[in-house]
Amino acid sequence: MSHEEHREHVPAPVPVPDLIFPRRTLVSLLVFAACWETLSHLAPYLGIPPFAIPSFVRIAKSLADITPVDVAVTLARVIAALIASFVLGVALAMAMYRSEALDSYLHPMVRILMAVPVVSWILFAVLWFPGVEFRIGFVLVVVCGPVFLVDSLDAMRGVPRELRHMMQSFRPTTLQYFVKLMLPAIVPSIFTSWKVNISLAIRVVTIAELVGAVTGIGHQLSVAQELFSVSDVFAWTLVLVVLLFLLEAVVARVEKRLLRWRA
Amino acid sequence: MTISKGGPPPIEVRGLRKVFRQTASGQAVVAIDRLDLTIAPREVVAIVGQTGCGKSTFFDLAIGLEAPTEGSILIGDKSPHGDFDYFRGHIATVFQQDRLLPWRSALDNAKLPLELIGLPENEQRRRALTWLNRLGLSQFTNAFPHELSGGMRQRVAIARAFAVEPDILLADEAFGHLDEVTAAELRETFLALARECGSTAILITHQLEEAIAVGDRIVVFGKSAKLLADIHVAQWPNEKYGVLREAIQATLHANSRDPRLAQA
Repeated sequence: MSHEEHREHVPAPVPVPDLIFPRRTLVSLLVFAACWETLSHLAPYLGIPPFAIPSFVRIAKSLADITPVDVAVTLARVIAALIASFVLGVALAMAMYRSEALDSYLHPMVRILMAVPVVSWILFAVLWFPGVEFRIGFVLVVVCGPVFLVDSLDAMRGVPRELRHMMQSFRPTTLQYFVKLMLPAIVPSIFTSWKVNISLAIRVVTIAELVGAVTGIGHQLSVAQELFSVSDVFAWTLVLVVLLFLLEAVVARVEKRLLRWRA
Repeated sequence: MTISKGGPPPIEVRGLRKVFRQTASGQAVVAIDRLDLTIAPREVVAIVGQTGCGKSTFFDLAIGLEAPTEGSILIGDKSPHGDFDYFRGHIATVFQQDRLLPWRSALDNAKLPLELIGLPENEQRRRALTWLNRLGLSQFTNAFPHELSGGMRQRVAIARAFAVEPDILLADEAFGHLDEVTAAELRETFLALARECGSTAILITHQLEEAIAVGDRIVVFGKSAKLLADIHVAQWPNEKYGVLREAIQATLHANSRDPRLAQA
């Protein structure tokens, strides 16, 4: 083997973090915080009720009162529903990829499911199911499942013909074909679906918990609204945003690990 | 892995016809037209012909991914299409592009066919490493395909094909995209390993030099979809290879100028 044939193992260039972006983000957040704090002090002079724009001291007190159990319950609901949606979505995508007939039957149903507004699903869930947990789970799965399904199916159809041809030439069983080729090939697309669905699930679970739940962040937001406590709403919203960022960071880390083969 | 103790079985092609229907127009296109061919065990056959003469269709029929429209192709007494699973681990392929799975290392790519036949993990690893070493890739077993050069990736693809020690090896323009030096080197390695394994090898190529260098036999396909010549290279002394090349070229040119093809 000639030396020219070897390509040296040069480690992939490590992206240099863009220092300008975080600084600008920090500046914009500080400007927003300063405006908010100023407004909270000026509110009485502007004819705005004092509770409408609470100061950061008040918000900090609300943050201190956050009940971890509600955060844990919401997080558990989101993760359980996302896992169930993922398994169902990918399994159905595999079946639809395999069977054109099944695809032609299910495709219109999936389109309809995706067109139904979240609020309608919540109302259906309340009317159909007695159990709160099942209602919330149902709404999350029916909203997130189709995203996993459609993305996975599209990704499977996008697997290069050359790779499918090569794999088939070695005569895999149907299970081997999916496990060795299709599933690894759609991993990048699956991660994109996870990122989209985490954000979707966090928003949907809050709305679902607003209706009928006695635990979770959505329920706490409902209580805060009944008490006219903007600081509590602010604090719980902040928790939701942090939760979203944390989940996204976990997915990004797993993605980086699993997709290290990419150039 | 040999099907029988006596080595690979012969390949018998009888009245083979393959017709495709174009999706848009519905027009029938004859890709292979009543082909008769017998390939003896352990023979190395080069199939040459111009683009669109049915070489790749024959490749797909021989590996069983396509069913004949008429006629038959049998390996021993089994059809590679009808008895698809029977040939798992007995037929291996090398393609023009390496077609390595980008998420697998060189070692894992070479292991792929061994995983499909269900060998124990340690045996898979041992065999894949053996073949990668033989192809000069012992330093690159953990490299991902994007970290290797084109020639090295094709070596991994060859190691993957040989890992199952197949009865039948099919290569479709396997060296066509490489530079001349790398291609000649790989072609030589491929041929030596095929002979050592006792495999029957079918190489599809559009390069006459490659066909003459590699094949015990050269089968010339012409447009549209017919057998123009079947040449046993051993019958030609080395000094006559130039004459042989010119004769094949003349046959292909005459075929491409055939007025019936122009009308078609």
